[in-house]
Amino acid sequence: MSIVLPAIGFGLITASILAIAAVGFTLQFGATNVLNLAYADTMTAAAFIAYMVTHAGLSIWIALIAGTVFGAVASYALNRFVYVPYVRRGTKLFGMVILTIAVSIIVQFGLMAIYGSDFYNLQSSSGSSFKIGPFIFTAIQIAIILIAVVAMLAVHLLLTYTKLGKAMRATANDPDLARDCGINTDRVIDLVWLVSGALCGLAGVVLVMNVTGFDVTTGNGFLIPILAVAILGGIGQARGAMLGALVIGIASEVAGAVISPGYKTVVAFVILVLVLLFRPQGILSEVATQKELAA
Amino acid sequence: MSSAVQFYVTILLIYLGVDAIACLALNLQFGVTGLVNFGFILFQAAGAYTAAVLTLGPSSANGGYQQYIGGASLPFPLPLLAAAIVGALLSLLVGLVGLRRLRTDYQAIVLLAVSLIGATIATNQVGLFNGASGLSLVPHPLADVLNLDPISYAWVYVAITMALFLLTWLLVHRITSSPLGRTLRSVRESEAVAASVGKNVIRLKLTAYVLGGAIAAVSGALLVEFITAWSPSSWLPAETFVYFAAVIVGGAGNNLGAIVGAALVPVAFIEASQYIPAFGRPGLIESVQWIVIGLLIAVFLWVRPAGIFPERRRRYAKPHPAGDGAQTPQSEPVLPSG
Repeated sequence: MSIVLPAIGFGLITASILAIAAVGFTLQFGATNVLNLAYADTMTAAAFIAYMVTHAGLSIWIALIAGTVFGAVASYALNRFVYVPYVRRGTKLFGMVILTIAVSIIVQFGLMAIYGSDFYNLQSSSGSSFKIGPFIFTAIQIAIILIAVVAMLAVHLLLTYTKLGKAMRATANDPDLARDCGINTDRVIDLVWLVSGALCGLAGVVLVMNVTGFDVTTGNGFLIPILAVAILGGIGQARGAMLGALVIGIASEVAGAVISPGYKTVVAFVILVLVLLFRPQGILSEVATQKELAA
Repeated sequence: MSSAVQFYVTILLIYLGVDAIACLALNLQFGVTGLVNFGFILFQAAGAYTAAVLTLGPSSANGGYQQYIGGASLPFPLPLLAAAIVGALLSLLVGLVGLRRLRTDYQAIVLLAVSLIGATIATNQVGLFNGASGLSLVPHPLADVLNLDPISYAWVYVAITMALFLLTWLLVHRITSSPLGRTLRSVRESEAVAASVGKNVIRLKLTAYVLGGAIAAVSGALLVEFITAWSPSSWLPAETFVYFAAVIVGGAGNNLGAIVGAALVPVAFIEASQYIPAFGRPGLIESVQWIVIGLLIAVFLWVRPAGIFPERRRRYAKPHPAGDGAQTPQSEPVLPSG
């Protein structure tokens, strides 16, 4: 028990980071139908942008905003100038998956060419510690949880109460029908890339705020948990992803503490497989292939 | 030839054989059947590990400094056969989970995850796989029988590799030009159509997956028997994409294309460039190599999605005008016939 409780505390932090990342991912994948495997590397790139900002002497909060803006702009540009032209040229579903992997490799090793394989860190101290119930959190960790709560609330409000959010959900559900209803789906999808990209950038910065050192592969190590959360929650389901993040965040930290730290991602994977085996709703091929690539 | 040049040439030839076998396997899975096997490298690594531990003596030998399962000291061709069996069984296991009725991109997720997890377990379970340090001192096959100097032995190994490569080519060619190959291509083009004429799509995919997995395992085994060492870090999940790049560049669905791709991407590009003088910071060359791999995939998907040697367009009867309405007119890459 003594190692399980602190692990749950860590799990809450991991869940916060995962929630931001996976909600962005699930919105992106759900609405655009492009399985963007370069997502995690965009997170890493945002983290390095944040690093450059703090390195220039600016505060971590400005770095957070810079990373978020970078994520939004980079994801938007990636779609507009890379993915859309390929879709228009007729690249099929699996061609697109391979293309996103190619982008992922280019981004990761582009960063490695610039930054090498050294470890970097955003801030020297993680602030004073607080005891909340059975958990001990540092100031940074509390900030991460608060950022996640605010971001999730914002996503929820966006999707539920705004016209844009409703248009996004409509486009994710059925792009043709949405178009027939007068929704400018091209514009909505552009905005989806901006919003999901912002979450991606935010997640990247928050991810490296929590670790003592990060390198060019840090984001990529998060890819499988993000995919697991998105599939567990149901692709395109923001609230599902939030719940999934809690489950997988806590489960993986507890497993990491009880078995071995190397097994954190294994837990995410096991959950992923179990979901695919026993609850593949929404990911059966009949349902999924009805949707064409939206560009 | 001086001995250094000879040694270099033999190594390149052996890599060529190994990579060509691997690319034929991936082509069977990805090019012919349309399985986006992002876990490909796992099966090559598994075959290599199997061959290594079956060639090695018991792990208590050599002072027990490395831990592994097995240790059978089997004579030469047996470890390769065992590797093929392990590759096939592992593929069957993964395929039964991953090849269910999932959309292509979900399958890609599962298979990518499988190889990441495989790498994690191999690195963490020291008792099973000796952890990150891997295995070394795997005896050279037939070395004690032949009793040759290293260069002559390397040439003998080149001959073995090439023989196995030709055998694999023949086998894969027989499969892809048979009715089975035709059915596999139909699964790639449209699962729904294949299923509607009574084909068991999942079983067909599994067949291609298991065959490809077995061949991939043999390629790994062949490599590890020559370099006499095995380590999880040399079979990283990302290596899969070198093979994908090779098959896409060469021409997915075309066996000759896969072989040419193997010669161009992993051999000419990666292995040969290991010997160029280092410049910049350590690791810079490697980063640039990987960036070029990514660019190769992206550029070929744009400029020549069918690869250097496009798949031969087969005509069986009067072709139907394809009705893929939702796509743009250019949706089908136009393949030159013949």
